[in-house]
Amino acid sequence: MKQDVLNKLISIVGKERCKTAPEDLLAYSYDASIHEFMPEAVVLPKSTEEVSRIMKLCSENKVYVTPRGAASGLGGEALAKQGGIVLSFTMMNNILEINTANRYAIVEPGVIVSDLQKAVDALNLFYPPDPGSANVATIGGTVMMNAGGMRGIKYGVTRDYLLGMEIVLPSGEIMKTGTVTVKDVTGFDLTRLICGSEGTLALATKITVRLLPKPKTKRTLLAIYDSLDDAGMTVSKIVEAGIIPATCELMDTIVMKAIEDYYHLGFPVDAAAALLIDVDGDPEVVERQAVIVGDFCKKCGARDVRVSKSDKENDDLWAARRTAFGAIARLAPQCAIEDATVPVSYLVEAIKKVIEICKKNRVRLAVLAHAGDGNLHPLMPFDGRDADEQARVEKAMDEFVEYAMTIGGTISGEHGIGMNKAKYLPQQLSPTSLRIQREIKKSFDPQGILNPGSFLEVCPL
Amino acid sequence: MIPTQLQEEVYNCIKCGICMYACPVYRQVNVEGASPRGKVQLIKKIQEGKFEPTEGFKNLLFTCLLCETCTVNCPSGVHVDRLLKSMRAEIVKKFKLPWQKRLAFSLLCSEKMLPLAMAWGRVLGNPLMSLLPKNGKLGTVSFSKLPKLNKKPLLDQYPEVMPSEKPTGKVLYFPGCATNYIFENIGHSTIKVLKKLGVEIYMPKDQMCCGLPIFLAGARDTALGNIRKNLEIFGRKDVDAIIIDCATCGSALKEEYFHILDEMGEDTAAVKKMSGKVMDITQYLKRFDLKKYLHPVKGRVTYHDPCHLVRSQKVRSEPRDLLKQIPGMEFAEMVGADVCCGGGGSFQIDHADVASGITAKKMKSIADTGAGIVASGCPGCRLQIYGNSGKMEITVVHPIELLAKAMD
Repeated sequence: MKQDVLNKLISIVGKERCKTAPEDLLAYSYDASIHEFMPEAVVLPKSTEEVSRIMKLCSENKVYVTPRGAASGLGGEALAKQGGIVLSFTMMNNILEINTANRYAIVEPGVIVSDLQKAVDALNLFYPPDPGSANVATIGGTVMMNAGGMRGIKYGVTRDYLLGMEIVLPSGEIMKTGTVTVKDVTGFDLTRLICGSEGTLALATKITVRLLPKPKTKRTLLAIYDSLDDAGMTVSKIVEAGIIPATCELMDTIVMKAIEDYYHLGFPVDAAAALLIDVDGDPEVVERQAVIVGDFCKKCGARDVRVSKSDKENDDLWAARRTAFGAIARLAPQCAIEDATVPVSYLVEAIKKVIEICKKNRVRLAVLAHAGDGNLHPLMPFDGRDADEQARVEKAMDEFVEYAMTIGGTISGEHGIGMNKAKYLPQQLSPTSLRIQREIKKSFDPQGILNPGSFLEVCPL
Repeated sequence: MIPTQLQEEVYNCIKCGICMYACPVYRQVNVEGASPRGKVQLIKKIQEGKFEPTEGFKNLLFTCLLCETCTVNCPSGVHVDRLLKSMRAEIVKKFKLPWQKRLAFSLLCSEKMLPLAMAWGRVLGNPLMSLLPKNGKLGTVSFSKLPKLNKKPLLDQYPEVMPSEKPTGKVLYFPGCATNYIFENIGHSTIKVLKKLGVEIYMPKDQMCCGLPIFLAGARDTALGNIRKNLEIFGRKDVDAIIIDCATCGSALKEEYFHILDEMGEDTAAVKKMSGKVMDITQYLKRFDLKKYLHPVKGRVTYHDPCHLVRSQKVRSEPRDLLKQIPGMEFAEMVGADVCCGGGGSFQIDHADVASGITAKKMKSIADTGAGIVASGCPGCRLQIYGNSGKMEITVVHPIELLAKAMD
């Protein structure tokens, strides 16, 4: 990057918030994936106006800009894949408004998801999107990635709670999308288009989210199985029977052992699998549903069903579940995490298939799934220093994605395409679809300075 | 050298980021390099020879409270705090510590100079303190809230052996520099309570500063003399326990001595024998039925967990149980009681801007309880909390002081 551009960046945000020292660049060269790219500078804006001025400067000088939240992403989306600056939003982290009368909140993009959840909870409101990384990820990041998470089965994903945004275009222009009302059919729905764009279209500087009244009570059930198939079958049956739990997570014995190793919560490490199920709502409904779900699990082969007795117990179980990805790291230095999602009636078959594929390719496997919505997260621990093992992991992932395509699934349920899955895009998106998506990108970012090297560019077709 | 086990653990970090939410410093500055994940990744690059430590890296490394919250929250089992402590020892070989720290550490290591410096401090410092500007600050701590030095060191106020007629126990007592020179009432209280319970007390006069402020700054060689001397004095076998009423000294003798000697390739047999006997005073008192000794003390108290007790030594319930036993005392748990107060030894001076934000959150939690008394078993926390209390009407004490009062 030219020195005069750098000087101008410094004149916008000051020296402290424009970093170029090697230790700073290194610290912004990674996310939670295996990819690493060094940016040329890291800029940490504190206001929309600063973001706008930075983008104007960068578009005038054709400097690449990659937006970054907490970098808990799993596919290199927030990395400066072709150099340029990383624009970190962690210092724009204020909750600007929580409107109880109209049930919405306006936040800056750097607010951490669980901080927003806690803030609205204190006012008896509820922000449902709950990615496993809620304690790490920022709202801005989850919006750009359209993060899903544990509550998808009942409450949907980030996109379902977006009302509007203030965005800055690559040119530096500031624009509003959406409103604060629940209904809004004025023009194209740009809010929901930008959501899930993986930071390729525009930068969100304010985000308006819809809130729900907080469910009055919640019960967490831990159903323990001696067979992984039975656990998977239970999920399909629950959904088929028309019961909608708030969450429905499946863990196999390896995941439970890893979590237990760290958390010591009494997870049944001798069992083959367990389901962690939440039911929430009015007390009478919850009590009734807890019994129905519990019986259901037993009928489908659960050897034991434990029902939580307190909020603390609920919280402990879920906090433990959140550590799964990190806990698996005890097994090997790296861990590939698959994200293909299948129609829920195929859950049992899909789990069998992934076990078969991993066995064939001699890949270690731990099965985790947001089972209620068919979102599988097979975890494949490996050592990146072993090239052969890494190649086998990649082959297993290729085969699993291919399989998911044959049964009407998607290559990614919630983690995004990023660098990992761009190669699979043509399996799911037609040339026409890809052409239209690239034209949309062009109309937002004609120079292609925003998040270069993203999925649309890496995609082979 | 960073020990092999810690070097290998670096590869367990899957960069999930859970440590960042837990880290009070990261939550304040919002810069990746200051986060535990960032530091671990930078150390990995140094290990792999891909990054030569810079002055900027040193600053990031020391922008850390060593509160250990990252370690206890790491699902991948990385001992982040130990890694950082080890790295600090490496980095001070390359970048020297500032002269003020070197001077302070050499005082803490000298049997003769420390008492002498403290004596002059009393003669000159205490009267001079009244001349300091009222709204001035040392780091984040208001001058007006700095404690005065003890008139006489605690060690000079008691005999070395305090026998009991019918001994119910026999302990070595390690008061630590803060109790010895600043907060003497903690020592009076510990001795009073132990005596009342019939415990025989040995308080070796030649004990040295535990050395923790020195070796956590990376100057392990400097601290080695203190460690060896203390091991020699406290290694005696004929006692039930070594009693400590300072969270920091406790973590030094119970945990840190072993790791340092081990990592420096020194003999660890003596420390292994000693560390098992080290107990925080609140842990030791668990074996006694205190109820019959206690008289009512009125007040509303909340408890702040020192990092060096709750995480380093896993002491969480004992001090609370003590406070709850005092009749007339209302106990109010604060939100985030185990979150670091922001003191971190000299951190609050070196990084006053970061510390003040962290401490402000702690002060709000305290205010929300409506308690007039804050109990905490660490002199550093005490200084930090009281020093930032502004117009709040609170006193900050060691739990043992309240217990002693209830035994009047």
